[in-house]
Amino acid sequence: MRKPIYIFSSGTLERQQNTLVFKDGDGKKRYMPVETIADIHVFGELDFNKRLLEFLTQNEITLHFFNHYGYYIGSFYPREYYNSGYLILKQAEYYLDILKRMDLAKKFVYGAINNMNKVLEYYIRRGAEELSTTLEELSHISSAVETQDSPEALMAIEGNAREIYYSAFDIITDSEDFSFAKRTRRPPQNRLNALISFGNSLLYVTVLSEIYRTHLDPRIGFLHSTNFRRFSLNLDVAEVFKPIFVDRLIFSLINKNQLKAKDFSTGVEGVFLSESGRQTFIEEWENKLKTTIDYPPLKRKVSYRSLIRLDLYKIEKHLLGDKPYEPYASRW
Amino acid sequence: MFVIMAYDVNVERVTKVLHVGRRYLNWVQNSLLEGELTKAQLARLKADLHKIINDEQDSVVFYISRREQYLERQTLGLNKGGQTTMI
Repeated sequence: MRKPIYIFSSGTLERQQNTLVFKDGDGKKRYMPVETIADIHVFGELDFNKRLLEFLTQNEITLHFFNHYGYYIGSFYPREYYNSGYLILKQAEYYLDILKRMDLAKKFVYGAINNMNKVLEYYIRRGAEELSTTLEELSHISSAVETQDSPEALMAIEGNAREIYYSAFDIITDSEDFSFAKRTRRPPQNRLNALISFGNSLLYVTVLSEIYRTHLDPRIGFLHSTNFRRFSLNLDVAEVFKPIFVDRLIFSLINKNQLKAKDFSTGVEGVFLSESGRQTFIEEWENKLKTTIDYPPLKRKVSYRSLIRLDLYKIEKHLLGDKPYEPYASRW
Repeated sequence: MFVIMAYDVNVERVTKVLHVGRRYLNWVQNSLLEGELTKAQLARLKADLHKIINDEQDSVVFYISRREQYLERQTLGLNKGGQTTMI
């Protein structure tokens, strides 16, 4: 499995001797094995040239950029190399046919709610019994999914579900430094919101990089409407994985005291993870993605990162009419 | 799998071998690289090296461990290089 590289330092990224080299301000060189890199996440100031982009395209490496606050700004998404006109047509067909589109969109929402349930159930088993009411409210919402007839209404339902689910965060973390209050974005108003925003951006780009390794077109989403510029399929798929990847990681970082108040900075722009906080987060994020778990359909262990790819393959099969898509359901 | 590559080749070919090695593995110290590879990647690395080395004079040795966790790495003195995901 190819691995990502995260660049926090400022310097130059170059092609040299058919591999990648990063030169920092002091001219110190670090060679990186191009054959084993999946994607590069850039947080620092980076100088590069077209030759590098050509080289990344050749090696099928995506480049993701984040701004000073850790917000995703954009990606260098190399020319598609897994081209399949047939699949793109199918993807468009499923988007244009409202019934087919709703069918897929509902599955993403079901998948998301199901995995939220799993997270709550875990903490109920660990003694947070007051979460049972949250769980009930969620199942109430979930039963309303089926009757929705437009993607917008479905998005609203999904939003409600998430709001109810977020109300459980304070009970799970039980930390003064990380009280949740309410979900705020752009900018996040407190530490927990900052963590959610940062984690979600990491998940979006990870899914995007995985989509690049399939025949799917990231611009055609089903739950999130396709518009003129944005990638949206990765947002759809990320919904399913947010509770088990991002939220669980956040809870463990807070509950194990790996992140503290000093790992955040507050400014007029809101609250953001500091560089040290981001590094801790990413380190644990990478460990998480590397972790392998039993995957019964394949009768072997797969990494969390591969779960994303496997779901994308399931979507491909759905579009080709082979087998209906069933979103990944966490088992515990 | 986790691969350690050590090479001892004619001085004319040292840099060539290093350049190929760096495409797949992380540099640890002179003539020594390490990294996580798939079977296919290792096969390609070997094929690439084979084009360069002279079978009569050069030697490249691979130590292969199924998982990195099964291997304990101890260092005396300087830690010159190794795997990185964060720069």
